[in-house]
Formats: sequence, structure tokens, C-alpha cells
Amino acid sequence: MISLTDFMMVSAGLFCIGLYMIVTKRNAIQILIGIEFMLNAAILNLVAFGKFDRLNNGGQMFALFAIVLAAATTAVALAIILNVYKKYKTIDPGQIDQLKD
Amino acid sequence: MEQFLQSIDALTIKFTLAAVLLPLLAFVLNMCFGARSNKFTGWLSTVAILVSCVLSALIFSKVWNGHQVHQQVLWFTIGNTSVYTGILLNNLSVLMLLLVSLIALPVHIYSIAYMRHDSGYSRYFAYLSLFSFSMLALVVADNLVLLYIFWELVGFSSYLLIGFWFTRDKAVIANKKAFIMNRIGDIGLLTAIIILFAMFHTFDIEKLFGPDGLVGKSSFITAQIEFNGQPTRFESVWILFASSGNRALPAIWQYIAFAGIFLAVAAKSAQFPLHTWLPDAMEGPTSVSALIHAATMVAAGVFLLGRVYPMFNSTELTILAVVGCFTAFMAATIALTQNDLKRILAYSTISQLGYMVMAMGVGAYGSSLFHLVTHAFFKCLLFLAAGIVIHQMGHIRDDNNLSIDPQNIQNMGGLRKKLPFTFIAALIGALALVGLPLTSGFLSKDSILIQAFEWSGDKSVFLKLIPVFALITTWLTAFYVTRMIVKVFFGDLRVAESTPALKVHITDGTWLYKVPLALLAICCLFPFFSANPLVYERSWLFGGFGNATNPEAVNIYHALVPVGVNILSILVIWYGYIIYTKRRANPFPQTGALFNLACNEWYFDSIYQRIIIKPLLALCRASFWFDRRIIDNFIVFFAKFSIGLARLAAWCDRNIIDGFLNLLVITVRTIGNFVRRFQGGKVQYYLYSMLVVILAIFIWIILDGR
Repeated sequence: MISLTDFMMVSAGLFCIGLYMIVTKRNAIQILIGIEFMLNAAILNLVAFGKFDRLNNGGQMFALFAIVLAAATTAVALAIILNVYKKYKTIDPGQIDQLKD
Repeated sequence: MEQFLQSIDALTIKFTLAAVLLPLLAFVLNMCFGARSNKFTGWLSTVAILVSCVLSALIFSKVWNGHQVHQQVLWFTIGNTSVYTGILLNNLSVLMLLLVSLIALPVHIYSIAYMRHDSGYSRYFAYLSLFSFSMLALVVADNLVLLYIFWELVGFSSYLLIGFWFTRDKAVIANKKAFIMNRIGDIGLLTAIIILFAMFHTFDIEKLFGPDGLVGKSSFITAQIEFNGQPTRFESVWILFASSGNRALPAIWQYIAFAGIFLAVAAKSAQFPLHTWLPDAMEGPTSVSALIHAATMVAAGVFLLGRVYPMFNSTELTILAVVGCFTAFMAATIALTQNDLKRILAYSTISQLGYMVMAMGVGAYGSSLFHLVTHAFFKCLLFLAAGIVIHQMGHIRDDNNLSIDPQNIQNMGGLRKKLPFTFIAALIGALALVGLPLTSGFLSKDSILIQAFEWSGDKSVFLKLIPVFALITTWLTAFYVTRMIVKVFFGDLRVAESTPALKVHITDGTWLYKVPLALLAICCLFPFFSANPLVYERSWLFGGFGNATNPEAVNIYHALVPVGVNILSILVIWYGYIIYTKRRANPFPQTGALFNLACNEWYFDSIYQRIIIKPLLALCRASFWFDRRIIDNFIVFFAKFSIGLARLAAWCDRNIIDGFLNLLVITVRTIGNFVRRFQGGKVQYYLYSMLVVILAIFIWIILDGR
């Protein structure tokens, strides 16, 4: 029987992988992928906790909303990345440091 | 009439200013524009002195035996005392003015030829003009401070000219010696001026020493001194009863003032004990010796005596007479044994100056100044002639590559055939120096001797010796002059004996040499001074100083002294001529205590060396040692202590105060550096730090929760 703990472990693993990607990767698209990983970890938690909800399928509904929103943010983020690439000829966030002192 | 006289006086003053300032102008121009060997400079100085001479003659004709001209302006005011400065022209100053410019003129002309090949030609004439200026200003100054300034300036220009050839060690030593000796005298003069000012509250020469001057009114009285209201003891007091209030000083100050004046006179006029600089001063060019160290500057001492004459009392005058007589005698004995032509003349100058000082001492004021004037002419003439002789001996030396001293009279002889003009001039000068009749020297010297005898009439035995020694000195003079003239001009040239193939091409020189000699030679003869060649009282110059002696008061001395002096002088000359024309090198044995005494110049230099210079040097060395060892060591110790203290302070500063600040800075910088790492503009790094912080908070909460 798959317990809630197992869902939590998978979710935590996904989150950590995403977080690791965000912190270490030198490519904005890979970082975007990392963000998606973390989002999906959160969605997985929503779905797993939905079992203990008094309303049926409340968690799944939220997961669907979150997926849609994630798709929208990804589209926006990709557009930003494209524009960044146009301006800086790179998508390495480590080199886009014009905001520093 | 009053108006007219005043305008004449104003003109005279203007002339005097011009006469005095022209040589100064020449000096400035020569100093500014004189190139190294610009022949123009000599003529510039000569023209300046020529104009001065003409102006002096004009002034002389106006003032001599007329009323005195005195004009002054306010110089400065200190407190309530106003010091005036100006020009005082009376018989004494116009006579000196004319004399100085009249002597300076031929010397300038002579120098143009004499210094022709010298590299310092312009410098020489600049100095000569400076000297002429200071000497002319000295004689017309109406105030003691001004007189002192020019007194110093005269000494300074003499210093410059003695050391003119400053590359020669002997010249440098000589000018140092002259300067130091003169400084001693200057200090004396300054002391005297200060004392006179303290007593009389004025520097004005006319007010002090004039016909009704303050000095004449002051007197000595014995008074009882009160101390704390109690009469204590009797003391001699120098007191002045004047309308502006009575003033008094202890009598000793009057004697100190006299001592100061005496020192000044002794230094400038080369009197014992400060005479030793004058023979050494002959290291300067001969023309300079003629002008400064024979005719004019050395007479400044006698001139000063003439200026301050009223201040001396009978004791002081006697001291002057004794010193003058001693100097005259001593210098004459030294002159007997010297072989250096210029040194003989130098000692002769000292001897004649001794006569003048002695004459002042015996009250023969007019005769002293008379002798000053006649001596200036004949001694200048003798020096210029000696200059030609030395110059020509130098030519002989250079033409034949000999190594002889051109000034040594033992090498000379027979020059009367080669230098006939110089010979005649020197002979006239020599006869005037001896004081034979028909020359000016006869008039002045006999007047001094006669008055010395008259003065000694009622004096003690010791003081009766003074005129006797003066008489002996006259014969000594006759002898050394004969020796010099015969050795230089008679017989045969001595150098030729050792070098048979001697080439001798020498002449009297151009008119630049001959004119000054002729001019001076004429001034050495009697008509220039008196219509009657035998009676000095008839001389216009003697009359100008209005002495008590009147021509009627003829006593036994007036006949006896001239006759006795001259007969013996002629005998001495004849004897000297006989001895020295035999041309033996040394007709007299060169041994004996007296010879050594005279030849070594009475050991004055060695005595000074031993008594004054050595202790002084020892004192200097001791002070130097003290300075070096004790004061310096103390200072060095103090310096080291300060350095140590400073090092400590520096260490504290660097390590503690700076360290504290540095620590602050390092802390701030470390924190700043640490913090700015987070602001690197790297988004991922921000995220990473957020993660770390959150993790840290979680770990902390977890650990805390336990």
C-alpha cells in the first residue's frame, strides 16, 4: 500500500532536484525546468493531501489550476528568456549581472 | 648780503656732495658694467676723481680761512633724541678733501698704466673709487655716527685692496691681519662715541668739538658722592654745566673715551701697539700702497685726532706724545735693516705718522696737519717711484728667467741711468722725507721738532727725552733713506754681477707714469707751501690753523734745531753715500742684538704671536673642545633622547592608534566584502543564500525544539 509518506518523499525528492537545478544550472531554460520540477512537487503534494480533504477531488481541481498557471508562467518565462537572449546574447544568469553594485 | 652768503653756502654744499658722490657713482658703474678687462673703467674712475679734485679745489678756495659751512638735515629720531646728519666744512675738512682728491688723482692716472695687464682691472678701479668715496665722505662728515660709518668703509676698502690679489696666500693673510687690527680700533672708536653720547647727548661734531663746544665746557671736579643719602667719599667727576641741564659721569669714563679714540688712531694710523698690519699691507698693488697705506687712509687717524682735539687733557696729550715718539723711533730703526723696498717705505710711513701723533701730543696741532699734508705728497711720490722700480725689476726678472725678488733692494743698483726720470722724482721725495731745506718736509718736520722742544721746556727729564728721540729719528731717517736711494739708484745693477749676459730693456714708462710723478714732485717742493723756504710759520697751511705761535716769538730753538738737524742730516747722508756706493753687500755686520731687534721688527709679531695669538688660539681650542665635547655631547644626548622619545611616540602612533583605526577599517572592510558578495548580481547566488538561510533557520528551530 502506498502511504502518504511515500508521496511526500517523492515530492520532496522532486523539489530538491528542482531546487538543485535552479541553483546550479548555467542555462536559464534548465532553471525553468527546475522551477517546473518544484511546481510539480507542490502539485503532487496537493493531490496526495486531497485524499484527506472533506470535499471530493478538491485537491485535483487545484492541481489542474496550478498546472494551467504553470503553463502560462512558463510561456511568459520563455518569452522573457528570448528577450534576454536578444539583449545579452546569452542566457547564462550568472553573466546577466547588471543589477549588482 | 645774508641771502647772498647763504646761496654761496648752498652751492658749496652741492659741490661737496658732488665731489664725494662722484667716486661712488664710478664705483657703482664699474661694479655693474665693468667687464673683466674693460679699459674704459679706469678712465671712468679717473674722470670722476678729476672732477672731484676740481670741485674740492673750488670748495677749498671758498672755505679756507673763511667762515665754516655747516648744513644738516634730520636723519632719524629715537625717543626724544633727534640725530642730524650733514656736511661740515672748516679748514680741517676742506684741507683733507683737497689733499685726498689731489693724491688720488695721480694715483688713478698711474694705476691706469700700472694695472694695465691685470685681469682684475675693473675690480681694481671699482675698489679704488669706493675707497676715494669713503675717504672723501669721512673728512666732510659732521657727525660721529656718520664718521664711524665711513671710518669702517675706509677700513673695508683698504681690506679689499690689500687682498686684491686674493690668490696669493700672503695677501690674504695680510688683509686679514689689517682688518682684524682695524676692528680693534673700530671698537675703540665706537666705545668713545657711545661714551660721548652718554655724556653730551649729541653726535654732532661741531656741537661737541667746535669753538664753543660741549667738550670744551666740560671739566673735572672732585665731588663728594652720596650713597643712600650718606656722603661717603670724594671722587673725581667729569661734569658739564650746560643751559639744558648739568650732566656728570665718573671721571674714568673720560679716560675710557680717550683710550677708545687712541685705539682707533693707533689702528688706522699704525701706531704702537697696533702698527704691525701696515708693513704686511704692502702685499697690495703698489699704487694702492701709495694712496691708502702711505698718503690718505693712514692719515685718517691723525685727522680724527684733529677732529676731537679739544677733548684731550694734558695727561692724555702726553700719552699721545710718548706713543708717537716711540713709534717714530722704533719704526725708523726697523727701516734701517729691511731689504724689501716697500717694507722700508712702510716703516718710514709708520715713523712719519708717529711724528704727526707726537706733534698732536705736544700741542703742535697745525704742524701735525702740515706734516700730514707734506708727508702725503712725498710718501705717495716715493711709493709710485718704488712701484716703477719694482715693475721694471719684474721685467728684468721675466726677460732673463731669473728667480729674484723684484722688491729686494740688494738686487738693484745703477737704476739712475736706466730710469732717470724716476730717479729724480724719488730723489726729490727722499730729500723731502729727510727734511732738507727747500723741500716741504723741511718746513713741516722742523716745525714739529721746534714745537716739541718748546713744549718740553718745563717738563720732567723723562719727557725731555721725547724731542731728543724725535731728533735722533730724523737722523735715522736720513740714513735709511740714503741707504735705500743709493742701493736702488747708484752703483751698478747687482743682478748683473751674478748673471753677466743680462738683458736690460727698461724705461721710465709712458706719460701715464711720468705725469703723476711730476705732479707729486712739484708738490714736494717748498713754493707749494710757503714763500719762504726756511721759516715754517710763513706757510699758508700753518697759518690756516691759527696757532698761538707767532713769527716774532723766536727763541733759541728756532735757529738751533733746523741748523743742527740739517747739518747732521747732511753728514749722515754723506756717510751713508760713502758706505753704500762701495757696493759691498753688507757694510755692517749682520749680527748683534740691536741688529736682530731691528731686523725682526722689534719682535712685535712674535710677541703678539706668543702673548696674544697663542693664548687666544688656545682659548679658541679650549672653547672648541668645550663646544665639541660638552655642549655638542649634551645636545647630541638630548637629540638622541628626543629621537628615542620620538621613536616611542611613533611606535605608539603606528601600532596603537593607527592599529586601532586599522582594526576598525579591516573589520568594516571584511564585513563589507562579506556582504557585497551577496550583491554580486547573480540571481542563482541569491537563491542559494536564501536556501542556506532558510535551512539554517530550520536547523536552528529543530535544534532549539529539542
